[in-house]
Amino acid sequence: MDMVAMSILDSTMVSICREMGITLQKTSYSTIFNEALDFTCGLADKQGNLIAVADFCPAMIGGIPLLVKSCLKEIDVASLKEGDIILHNDPYRGGLHTPEHTFFKPIFFRGELQGWSIAIGHIAEVGGMAPGGFPGEATEIFHEGLRVPPVKIKSAGVDNNDIWKLLLANVRTPRTNYGDLRALIAAVDLGEHQMIDVLEKYGVSDVQQIIGDLLDYAERRMKAEIDAIPDGIYSFEDSVESDGVTPDKTYRIAVEVHVRGDQIIIDYTGSSPQARGPINATLGVSTSAAYNAVLHMTDPSIPRNSGCFRPIKVLAPPGTIVNVDFPAPSVGGNTETHPRITGAILGAMANAVPNRVMAAEGATHCNFVFGGVDAASGEYFACYDLETVGWGGRAFADGNDAVDSINGNCRTTPVEVFETRFPWRVERLALDTDSGGAGEFRGGLGYTKEMLCLNETITVSQMTDRHFTKPWGLDGGLEGGCGATLVQKKGASDWQTMCEAYGKISTSRYSNVDIREGDRVKLTTPGGGGFGSPQKRAPESLERDLRDGYISLESARSNYGYTGS
Amino acid sequence: MKFSENGLYIERYIKCSNCGVLIYEQDAPQKVKVEGKEFCSDWCVKWSAERQQRRASK
Repeated sequence: MDMVAMSILDSTMVSICREMGITLQKTSYSTIFNEALDFTCGLADKQGNLIAVADFCPAMIGGIPLLVKSCLKEIDVASLKEGDIILHNDPYRGGLHTPEHTFFKPIFFRGELQGWSIAIGHIAEVGGMAPGGFPGEATEIFHEGLRVPPVKIKSAGVDNNDIWKLLLANVRTPRTNYGDLRALIAAVDLGEHQMIDVLEKYGVSDVQQIIGDLLDYAERRMKAEIDAIPDGIYSFEDSVESDGVTPDKTYRIAVEVHVRGDQIIIDYTGSSPQARGPINATLGVSTSAAYNAVLHMTDPSIPRNSGCFRPIKVLAPPGTIVNVDFPAPSVGGNTETHPRITGAILGAMANAVPNRVMAAEGATHCNFVFGGVDAASGEYFACYDLETVGWGGRAFADGNDAVDSINGNCRTTPVEVFETRFPWRVERLALDTDSGGAGEFRGGLGYTKEMLCLNETITVSQMTDRHFTKPWGLDGGLEGGCGATLVQKKGASDWQTMCEAYGKISTSRYSNVDIREGDRVKLTTPGGGGFGSPQKRAPESLERDLRDGYISLESARSNYGYTGS
Repeated sequence: MKFSENGLYIERYIKCSNCGVLIYEQDAPQKVKVEGKEFCSDWCVKWSAERQQRRASK
């Protein structure tokens, strides 16, 4: 194995993936791409093994291996031609949820298939029962937008217009969708061209050899990390608080992590049967969630490719909340259930590697989605707006404030852009005092965003969690604060939940609420749990928190034993 | 995964009872059936039985 050549090729391919992502960002139309960066770009070898990926969205990074393998089972690889591009979003065939559209482009070099250029992106509007793609009250997949099995959107470099027409006829914002789908195509085109340059420069034989070495190297590195974890069976349970359609019912996520030498087997048996509402995770999501947790606990310098995932086995019994069966809905599984699964694995591993895990994070993307007809332009708009949360405290540091949940790595859309693109005025956006769980290392803070509706009507839906289930602490750390969604109707002084104002079953998951001009919506995001006893918090850290308004004097006294004034 | 004869739609999603992976028709030779349940491999059959035993003894 030539370590220098391997390192050069690895860095080159990761750079290609980053450049693919930047192309996607810069050429896309919707804020979920060009501001939030809810996409990922990767490269695979011809067998479908992930060989390089850029550090965009972890949910998608872990999802790529199963996605590619599932697609390769269905397409006739021998009949592929240069310039073909395959599109896929089917949650039951390796996909993550209907908004996640994956483009695969075969990379041919001198007439031979050499690999795949891949781009996955969260399309903000996918049709279905609610604008913005997150119907919190969906009860079957058909409510969640158009399902696309692996189909050729381009054949030999030529658009397959029948597919385009079908895709764009089934969404509310065809112009924006067209731009975003083109951006994904631009990304895979770039990946293909750049890899052809690599093959030209180094030769097919050497590149194949080095890629094989790279996968084996990542596997060895991951095995060495796992081998250092004490063998054992580590368990943990967490719950999702609602499915949006069934009153007063929570859903268990059971995790059993078996560490056996240099292998990890993650068994979800014992998790709740699949829900009627859209909180179910697909197999791709549950697999990705397991990879996500293991990557968080291990050396970040291990190359992210299929080799590093080889020592990790995932067992997700079908028909459960962690492996949804057709035709149950799954749109919230990828955003809400994924971080709860990852958190549960980290919770289990706190018994084995306490210095490598964190207390619970907010574990929701808040998924506030909306749409309507813009009064000024007469054009339909739709938006997938995600908000950030507090992360859990760790054995060495406080949790991060206002960061996207563990599987997203996305950004929030800046207020200025949000207000320019959509008819809301953001009147307040501020971190919430005391929302971080108390601890020697405090949980990160969530925040509150208040918005005034400026359009005649905006139809909103939401898929979030932790309105009642607080983020747990570790090692004596206390729970973080809950989130909330409240509405204040024009002229009223009180704030109401969606249940109170619109008779919805869940405060955190609902569909198609019409917000009128002059109404206000207030989104509060959860904080993170604390790590370690609050009594052990360094006095200077406590003083700083008080000075900065991160904690109140009341909390300092009651939780931390503070005696000052 | 059982596709229709014309290959245009799925008639039945077949998943391993233990690990939940889709079992495609082309992988059928590796498929194992035990007490009416379908598994993708002997490893999954063994794991499933051991888990049942382990949890029963708790």
